[in-house]
Amino acid sequence: MGVKEGGNVGGSSVSRFVSVVVPLLLLAGLAAVPFVGTGPNVIRLLFMTLTLVTASVGWNLIGGFAGQISFGFAVFYGLGAYTTALSINGGIPPFSAFLLGAIVAAVASLLIGLPTFRLKGPYFAIATIGVSEAVRVVMMNVPFTGGASGYRIIDKARFVQSHHYYTALVLAVLAVVISILVRRSKLGLALIAIREDQDAASDLGVNPFVAKLIVHALAAALAAAAGGVYARYSLFIDPDGVFAFRNGIAILLMPIIGGIGTIWGPVIGAFVYGIIHEEVVANFPQAHLLIFGSLLILIILFEPGGVVGLFQKFMRTVRARSSVGSHS
Amino acid sequence: MSAADFLNLFIAAVLLAGVYAAMSVGMTIIYGVMKIVNLAHAGFLMLGAYFVFEAYDRFKIDPLLGVLLAFPVFFFIGMGVHWLLVRRIATSDQPTLTSLLLLFGVWLVLQNLGYLIWGNSDRAILTPRTLSSIEIGPISFPTIRLAVFVVAVASLVGLEFVLHKTWFGRSVRALMQNKEAGQIVGVNVNRTAQIAFGVGIAFAGAAGGLLAMLYSFNPDFGATFQLRAFVIIVLGGLESFGGVAVGSLILALAETFVILILPASYQPAIAFSLLVVALIVLPEGIAGLWAKRRRWA
Repeated sequence: MGVKEGGNVGGSSVSRFVSVVVPLLLLAGLAAVPFVGTGPNVIRLLFMTLTLVTASVGWNLIGGFAGQISFGFAVFYGLGAYTTALSINGGIPPFSAFLLGAIVAAVASLLIGLPTFRLKGPYFAIATIGVSEAVRVVMMNVPFTGGASGYRIIDKARFVQSHHYYTALVLAVLAVVISILVRRSKLGLALIAIREDQDAASDLGVNPFVAKLIVHALAAALAAAAGGVYARYSLFIDPDGVFAFRNGIAILLMPIIGGIGTIWGPVIGAFVYGIIHEEVVANFPQAHLLIFGSLLILIILFEPGGVVGLFQKFMRTVRARSSVGSHS
Repeated sequence: MSAADFLNLFIAAVLLAGVYAAMSVGMTIIYGVMKIVNLAHAGFLMLGAYFVFEAYDRFKIDPLLGVLLAFPVFFFIGMGVHWLLVRRIATSDQPTLTSLLLLFGVWLVLQNLGYLIWGNSDRAILTPRTLSSIEIGPISFPTIRLAVFVVAVASLVGLEFVLHKTWFGRSVRALMQNKEAGQIVGVNVNRTAQIAFGVGIAFAGAAGGLLAMLYSFNPDFGATFQLRAFVIIVLGGLESFGGVAVGSLILALAETFVILILPASYQPAIAFSLLVVALIVLPEGIAGLWAKRRRWA
């Protein structure tokens, strides 16, 4: 799948400057949102979008860099939500609770990865479709979290919306930083080698099994932290909400819309998804997945690079025009 | 548990296995020829269910006849989907990211078209046959299950005939064994792939109709059966028709007998547990086990 590398579009100092300054400006804008008086509804939408950014960036580590498509990230999101909820009710401070959720999800990710990553072929993708259904069914039936009727969180801290918002913002930034570090590390190179040609990668001394397990655990931990932050905000979770297959679909769609395998694609995709989702669900509750499904087909057939791919194409055209102009 | 109970459960499992095989064989043929995991299978199972339902509801076509009609209708739908979308993506000897995502998109579109057209209420196909049952001594089973089993097995026998007695069948088997060698001896890959996709979708549609006679359904209907079909083809080694039959029987037996030890609400998790066990114990499926035997012998 012609996945192009993000970053380093032209290599010129101008574009490098832009790729540092634009994200920082956006970050400053997002940090200022609670002070401009936009109202709780906008902050809620941005809060949700930022948790989506975290999950989307996490998915991209395994799905984008390593090329292992997972349909089951709802499992990690849900495990993070439930672990956080149980820990907070057990008197553990919220940030330790998020961390616990991340650890539980990372362990769970090994349970999926150990049987499937050894094998080449579609086994991982197939198994991830099953796992979210299986976990949802189990969670509907276990008594200590209230089963299908859901679980209520009693947070002793007073509810301040902006605290939750900044938690989500910090987590999203952390996710992007992790993504950049992974991409620039030896592990990141190994993952991309695995995506392009697993046999060649292992001939060159990469252990695909271990590399995939590590990055899958990292991705799961990020998705779980996002689930935990969401759970603490919403104060009530149930298996049909957090473990739903449609959450797994959303987490997969965002990086693809934005640009799979790039640093900023999953972030852009999460914002596009979050905002379209809000509008479309309000107006056509049944049609939103029809729209996203069609979008997915169109992206795969015409622009596998997503929004980032389109932007790069546009920049190349502009640069080609301007260089023709300077020569004449 | 008495012997009669045991026999009843066993017969129920065998009857279920017939439908499971018909439902999974379409996925095997598409995987075998194109190395594509058809994630849109669930969508076509669901469309097949509504096709048979509408044919019965509006035109009073007997559901069993509706299933037979579904074969040609879905064959052409499958060819159309191949022509419109699937032929445009590259394939290799492993399922590509692109193919997984494309067909996943098709599934999302079909499922939500289903919601737009039929809403989210459950439907069921009820005929006089639905409630009658056949009793032989202490053994009894519903007539409808027997009828569905007979149609499923007949369609599989028909497929077996096509695969072994026609040029299309020979091309399919050649491509499943070795794509390059097949091309060298003159198999038209694109044509065969298109027809194979049509046949795969035809079986998905017809199996959806068969399942609709046994269970109530809504637009989300295919998802759990799609997972079962995956488990079956993985058990069967992904591209072996004999493996599909054995895999269907194993899954049907596991799902039927597990109610003796676990509450029925856990049943949807059985297929997944079996998948994980299969991946750990026999990664190449049952057919792989046979191949290993042969190598040792």
